[in-house]
Amino acid sequence: MIPVNYLDLLRLAAPETVVLAGALVVLGVDLLALREVETGLRRLLLLILGAVTCGAAIAWMAAFPNLGNFMQGMLVVTPLTQWVKGGVLALAILTLLLSGGASFTNHWGEYVALLLLSAVGLMFLVSSESLLVIFIALELASLSLYILAAFHHDAPESAEAALKYFLFGSVSAGFMLFGLSLLYGLSGSIDLREIAAALGGPFLDPLLAVAMVTVAVGLGFKIAAAPFHLWAPDVYQAAPPPSAAFIASASKLASFFVLAKVLSVGMGGLEGRAVFGDYLPGWVPLLAALAAASLLWGNLAAIVQTNVRRLIAYSAIAHAGYMLLGIMGGKAGLPALVYYAMTYGFTTLGAFGVASLVRDRVGGDNLSDFAGLSRREPWMAFCMLVFMLSLAGIPPLAGFFGKFYLFAAALKTSSLDLLWLVILAIGMSAVSLYYYLQVLKQIYVVPPPSGLAAAPIPSLPKTVIILAALTVIVLGCAPNLLLRVLAAP
Amino acid sequence: MTADLLFYLFAACTLVCGFLVIANPFSLNPVTSAMFLVLTMVFLAGLFVLLHAFFLAAIQVLVYAGAVMVLFLFVIMLLDLKAEERRRLKVFGITTGLIAVGAILFIFLNTLAQAPLGASTTPELEGTTMALGKLLFTRYLLPFEVVSVLLLVAMIGAIFLSKKELK
Repeated sequence: MIPVNYLDLLRLAAPETVVLAGALVVLGVDLLALREVETGLRRLLLLILGAVTCGAAIAWMAAFPNLGNFMQGMLVVTPLTQWVKGGVLALAILTLLLSGGASFTNHWGEYVALLLLSAVGLMFLVSSESLLVIFIALELASLSLYILAAFHHDAPESAEAALKYFLFGSVSAGFMLFGLSLLYGLSGSIDLREIAAALGGPFLDPLLAVAMVTVAVGLGFKIAAAPFHLWAPDVYQAAPPPSAAFIASASKLASFFVLAKVLSVGMGGLEGRAVFGDYLPGWVPLLAALAAASLLWGNLAAIVQTNVRRLIAYSAIAHAGYMLLGIMGGKAGLPALVYYAMTYGFTTLGAFGVASLVRDRVGGDNLSDFAGLSRREPWMAFCMLVFMLSLAGIPPLAGFFGKFYLFAAALKTSSLDLLWLVILAIGMSAVSLYYYLQVLKQIYVVPPPSGLAAAPIPSLPKTVIILAALTVIVLGCAPNLLLRVLAAP
Repeated sequence: MTADLLFYLFAACTLVCGFLVIANPFSLNPVTSAMFLVLTMVFLAGLFVLLHAFFLAAIQVLVYAGAVMVLFLFVIMLLDLKAEERRRLKVFGITTGLIAVGAILFIFLNTLAQAPLGASTTPELEGTTMALGKLLFTRYLLPFEVVSVLLLVAMIGAIFLSKKELK
């Protein structure tokens, strides 16, 4: 029998435990103490309780940085995973506060609890190197997100989007489980490092290729890479805005991290080569194909969108393509990938926030509904300017440096193998400027429709949007603040 | 020898019943499919018994053939599946399905041809209830606990989504 130190487990999993306890407290308090409280106050109290819980978990990680490895990779805590978990929690806090002015539901207890539980799933996902925990954590996070996407009780399109998300998600989870079982069968272990050791050299047997492809299908769905992206436009457009923002930001950050981990740790040595004429099967050619498809499809389809949230969805698919470049950069690309995914998370979250405000005011989030936003809400318009330019990758903003480091990491790997893909990515990011500027043209050039009365916007979402914009600007001007700690061994 | 015979019997029955779940030439009734799913589960339990995993076999019958199938039938009765019964097979679905199955079959056969089957010794199996329980509370404690959170989420979700107006 293997001796287990339960205290060790508790110490390593303390941040997750704090958030989980917070979720249960939220459910309990909502049920026992807040039933008779008026909705607005109830929402505020629960959201603050949730945000404080996430804050407490971040504070715990900062105060007691316990590092270690529990039970051969079941739970592996390193400084990098701590930072990624911190990013997930920060995005969760912003999502919670972003819901401050929303009115899509009356069941705030369940909403906050599910958001916290999905954060717990994402945190376990980040810090495990065991196939079993990775799969279960992925399902925990996904299941909570499906429900969050369906939270708009009165809107049939929210339910439809959630159903699509759920069906796609369960099928791809099936694929992934199939691939993981093959990996286990081939290597006899569920620990990523032992799998890498058992699989050994660059020889790729067909069964391993199947395992690789099915795992890529499962995680490709989570990161919304083409051709597994079909759910994203509907969910981004129809789910309640804060839920969509969380799906687009925190879930993406954690999923990219776990994809990078599974491939570079669990299948290290099976990279292969994606060069014309000198092709070697492995996961780099696989990801290169996914990245090229995402870059092309995401950017080209975004051009014709008339709905801003749908446009952000297609741009998210394109950004998945950029981020896949970071995974192909191997271990050296990991800090660049995490930096990009984090700043991208803040940017999309802010953009969803602005879209949600416009929707509350004008009644829709089509491009034309943004007309003249700069005259009605100069600050919100400026924040949207920051987000859009950062997504397009314009210099002093975080998006530019994110892309720069990703491309550099992809080129540094092995003698310019991926040059063709980087050139494609740079070309496509020039294309993307077109549709981001379309949004800004509506905001700054087109005159506002007459008859819209000025009304105060709720202060919580406004603060969140300004905070997100500030983060994007600060991390853009001083990328080393984050990159240095991420790259630290 | 008997074990081998039983293995082939159970495996063949599992495959045949599994096929009849998704493509029954005699009936398009979903309830018939569900019944064949029950049979598939039962034969799978037989396979587990042959592997000396008695606990898993019992769980397989109790949970899958029992509880989960009752739920399936319940859902089938709640949904109106007349359209499903009338549905004809589409050429597109059949072609793409056959291509996918063919590709996977090709890969598996390829691998089987390459792998030296029967060369390895039978591994020692830890299928007894006691061994399983010990593993669940030592090595697999973390996934075990995370699954319990997962079930909580499923419960909240089911209640929230299915109830029309809850306080």
